[in-house]
Amino acid sequence: MDRKEFLKDCGRMGLAGWVLSIFPWLESCSDRTRQEVQGEKARIGIIGTGSRGLFHIQHLLQMPQVEVTALCDDYTPHLEDAAQYYPSAKLYSDYRRLLEDRNVDGVIIATPLYLHAPMTLDAMEAGKRVFCEKAMAYSQEDCLRVYNRRKELGAVLFIGQQRLFDPKYIKAMSMIHEGRIGDVVGVRNYWYRNNNWRRDVPSPELERRINWRLYSEYSRGLMTELACHQLQNGSWSIGMLPEQVMGSGHLVHWTKEDKRDVFDTVSAIFTYPNGVNMTFESIISNKHFGMGEQILGSQGTIDLVSGLIYSDEPMPKGSGIHQLVTQIENGIMSNSVFAGTSWAAETSPLAPGLPIMPNVTVNTGESTIGAEADGSKEIIEAFANAVITGRQPEKILEESYYASQFALLADRAMHENRILTLDDRFKVPYEPIRNRA
Amino acid sequence: MTVEEFRYSTKNALHPVAYASIKAMHTRLEMVLVDMAEDAARALCEAVETDTSEMERRFSRHEAAAALTVVNMRGGREAVGVDDELFMALELCEAFRRGTEGYFDITACSDCAGVGVRAGYALDAAAHTVRLYGAGTLLDMGGFAKGYALERLRRRVADSGVTQAVLNFGDSSIAAIGHHPYGEWWPVGVGASVGQPSVAHEFRLRDSALSVSGRGRGGEYHIFDPHSGERVVREETVVVEGRSALVCEVLSTALYAAPDSRRKSIISRYEGYAATVLRCGATGGCKVRRVE
Repeated sequence: MDRKEFLKDCGRMGLAGWVLSIFPWLESCSDRTRQEVQGEKARIGIIGTGSRGLFHIQHLLQMPQVEVTALCDDYTPHLEDAAQYYPSAKLYSDYRRLLEDRNVDGVIIATPLYLHAPMTLDAMEAGKRVFCEKAMAYSQEDCLRVYNRRKELGAVLFIGQQRLFDPKYIKAMSMIHEGRIGDVVGVRNYWYRNNNWRRDVPSPELERRINWRLYSEYSRGLMTELACHQLQNGSWSIGMLPEQVMGSGHLVHWTKEDKRDVFDTVSAIFTYPNGVNMTFESIISNKHFGMGEQILGSQGTIDLVSGLIYSDEPMPKGSGIHQLVTQIENGIMSNSVFAGTSWAAETSPLAPGLPIMPNVTVNTGESTIGAEADGSKEIIEAFANAVITGRQPEKILEESYYASQFALLADRAMHENRILTLDDRFKVPYEPIRNRA
Repeated sequence: MTVEEFRYSTKNALHPVAYASIKAMHTRLEMVLVDMAEDAARALCEAVETDTSEMERRFSRHEAAAALTVVNMRGGREAVGVDDELFMALELCEAFRRGTEGYFDITACSDCAGVGVRAGYALDAAAHTVRLYGAGTLLDMGGFAKGYALERLRRRVADSGVTQAVLNFGDSSIAAIGHHPYGEWWPVGVGASVGQPSVAHEFRLRDSALSVSGRGRGGEYHIFDPHSGERVVREETVVVEGRSALVCEVLSTALYAAPDSRRKSIISRYEGYAATVLRCGATGGCKVRRVE
């Protein structure tokens, strides 16, 4: 096993075959694909040039295979901001006109949640290859509609679950699947911030357009904006889907200054068929613990955010030194292989964990726009390559689909104050990502 | 702490053999004792467990009551009194720092790049105190304690009359007493990679020790370069053989951290010690090179 391959970012990853066999979607940013697209151009249009759209632009500017040919936003200041980076791009205020543009092969949709499904569906119908921010859609029904239509059309569709492309998550999940922390017995996710989640509004009539995240007419709040990323950790590590979800959500703190109607405090428990629980908690009026994603195993723990591994067990009992005993019992001597570097993860709960790879970049989760080195660049590069090759990466859509479905289901559980299971009509074929028998 | 496993076999009537394992110092100590009566072997294992437990308390930086923890908490502000054994260990660590061009340094884990080229603490022999240089300095004796413990335990086992034994601390520090009952040495193979039975190189121990340093079994880079303060990212394993388990432990850590250009100069100061560098590919093929 060549772990060295994981040490470089996706753009330089030189992915070995075994990695691709476990995480097949990484084929879209492999050396092979990079060579394939060399000299080609992905002509991309960006729908939604607000903060997240501009964040993607900073990455696109670094990609020689990308030509941004069109930009679209119905809010002129945002459109003008983006146009500074691409003066020759055609500008649109109506995304449907952009979809008619024959100089656009693929679109990046970075708009409010309630627009994800209609824009994605329209873009696929127009023959475009599509990257849409998470969550997949505003409702469970729309998620299914998007999923099914993509299948019918054979379109390329990426949803912005960038952890699937983050080298430290890939490495961590690979270690988990190898059994390095034993059986997964729990998954803990949390995301704490202390800010009002607001953007500045130049005039009052723009309040709901700019601060769409705060209104349930456009957004499903913390579950779709934050939890969606972290819920994916459960199925990715455990290799199955939750059986039921319960949760509690309230508006606790940010009630005085505005009329938001999405929860600022949520807590949810997802239970898997084997009884393992995954938790998600988010509070945006206290930031002390920041962001955390921890996979708890029977023999150790991996902290996904910091990229650290902690051990509960010192080391496996050595079979090598037992060979020595057997040799003596049988009156023979032969070579016994048991020496090697140490089983270094310390068992003390106070011990610092060990990095699962060098140069781990830690994302604090504080930014409301995006973080560096969290897979965002890699997923956009993979999408740009897919715009050229026309190939839909395997498994990525199912992971994204279920992350959205369970985020939405938990939001429902909170509103209805019930324990819910995913309705059969929302179930699509799911093959877990595993490399362990 | 207790003896985790004790097995005694008389299957070979000529050479009865005892096996014991003890969880200690965040890893596992295993012992193979030959030609010893069962009761004596069991008593020896229990004594070894007591010794190990006592040394773990002395050298741990994680236990609130441990002497080293007190030094780490207060040593940056004031001189802290320590007992004879810890004082001696700190003297030894400082001697090893100087004797390895600063590549073995028990302060290397703290937030103080470049500490390897100068002492991270001061010892006052008259007052029996230690004082840390800088509030950010922490002492971590993890790279010393296993070797030190193994050295002491080897003596205890030998003093009990055992003439053929192997002590294995976490697979990375091994001390041998005498030789295999059916050979002239104890054969110890260093594995090419995790989970593969293939041997990268066989070492032959006879009243000697061996220590292995490199990336952790999971690929973790856990050794710091004291000069830069950065983790050492090097795709190789360093094995040091010699008389003392402690010196082997110190040297393997230092030589892994040191650049190749400095290794010969360092090992040449230690008569009777030899270093081997293994570079193994993903499929198990290894290049073996002596540092000389």
